[in-house]
Amino acid sequence: MALPLPPGLTPPEVAFLCEMELVTVVPRQRLEGLALLGGQLPPLNPPHRTPLPLWLALLLKRQRRANIVPPPWLSPYSLEAILDHEIKHEDGFSPPPRLPHLPSNSLPFSPPFLPSSTADAAADALPYHWLELGEMLLEAAADDFEDPDNVRKLLRDLREVRMAKLRKGVEVLHAGGAIKMNGVGGMEVGEGRAFVGGVIDGLRKIAASREQQRKDRDREERENGYPGTAEDSDDDMDMQ
Amino acid sequence: MGSYYDVDAILTDAQKVPCTFELTVPGLGFVEGNMSGDMKQGSKVELPLWLGEMLALSQSLNTSSLVTLDPPAALAPRVLNALKADPRTVDLRALAPHFYNLGARILELFEEEEMIEVLSETFKARASVIADQAHNPRGALGEGADFMRGLDENERQLFRAAHDSAKAVRTWMTDLKKK
Repeated sequence: MALPLPPGLTPPEVAFLCEMELVTVVPRQRLEGLALLGGQLPPLNPPHRTPLPLWLALLLKRQRRANIVPPPWLSPYSLEAILDHEIKHEDGFSPPPRLPHLPSNSLPFSPPFLPSSTADAAADALPYHWLELGEMLLEAAADDFEDPDNVRKLLRDLREVRMAKLRKGVEVLHAGGAIKMNGVGGMEVGEGRAFVGGVIDGLRKIAASREQQRKDRDREERENGYPGTAEDSDDDMDMQ
Repeated sequence: MGSYYDVDAILTDAQKVPCTFELTVPGLGFVEGNMSGDMKQGSKVELPLWLGEMLALSQSLNTSSLVTLDPPAALAPRVLNALKADPRTVDLRALAPHFYNLGARILELFEEEEMIEVLSETFKARASVIADQAHNPRGALGEGADFMRGLDENERQLFRAAHDSAKAVRTWMTDLKKK
């Protein structure tokens, strides 16, 4: 009860994190390259498309100094295909974008550092920040979409379908179990965390006595010198 | 389990469980409502869980335990059968306001594999209904009002958590439009 905020991120915090995603803009005015903490930004030359962080793109958009090119997965065609996939495959979410192939000696990149929302991103997968990015772009740059109302409707549908799946996932949980959450977005994790965490806590509380019994039995077995098969690895760890 | 100041844990321990006295205790009749008499051997009394547990587990020098503990009415076989049949229709709040906490405490004292199963299944089945109710903007005014009234304290917290996080996302979306 010490902290008024629940664990995890609030929606504004998730949206803030989303603002570092790169999006493609078509500048209308020249702008010198900016030296920011995140690195040097390329100079803006009017007809040339340039990747910029979302927060800067939104700022320039509001000042009418640039247009934002929506990522390809935010087109009605891709969203319909993804929604179709979500409805047909009831056990699991649509997969996240594939990671690019890298030479074996380089460090792997993970989503926040991959340009998953620029104009040349994959069209057939929802990236981690799909909901936040879609909502923010629709709000600030609706005139850059071909069919903003349709996109908005499809985003709502997708959100409904996926949240329903997340809620249904708790039925297969047990005290030590898990839900497969591959491909779940940042805002969805933030929204589902309190509920799913609460269910798991409740289940563990109910089964606490069974867990305690198992621990006691394991300890007894170890003390009596009949190590069960599961303890072998633990014993090895202790020796090292 | 829980912190020392956990109000829910305190309230859980205050729930009554049926106890049977194995010994005659002089002058303890007032517990039974018999002001000046003795507590007879074999009399059944409803005691708070914390007291019943202490009396049942304390082993005095030469006797067996002072009282024997029985599972409370909220966890009787009749209730467990009803939960097995359909978890959604049982009014847990009427049985015990802290139903699952009481169940967990009882399971610490009794070994009941089946009760763990029944309670876990009940909790899961009801949790998914709670999630739907929390997400439904009509909320408790709709057809689920009876179900919502029958939630125990744990489930109410779960409902509040699910409802608050869904509301936070909706608030963020409307705030976005104001900018």
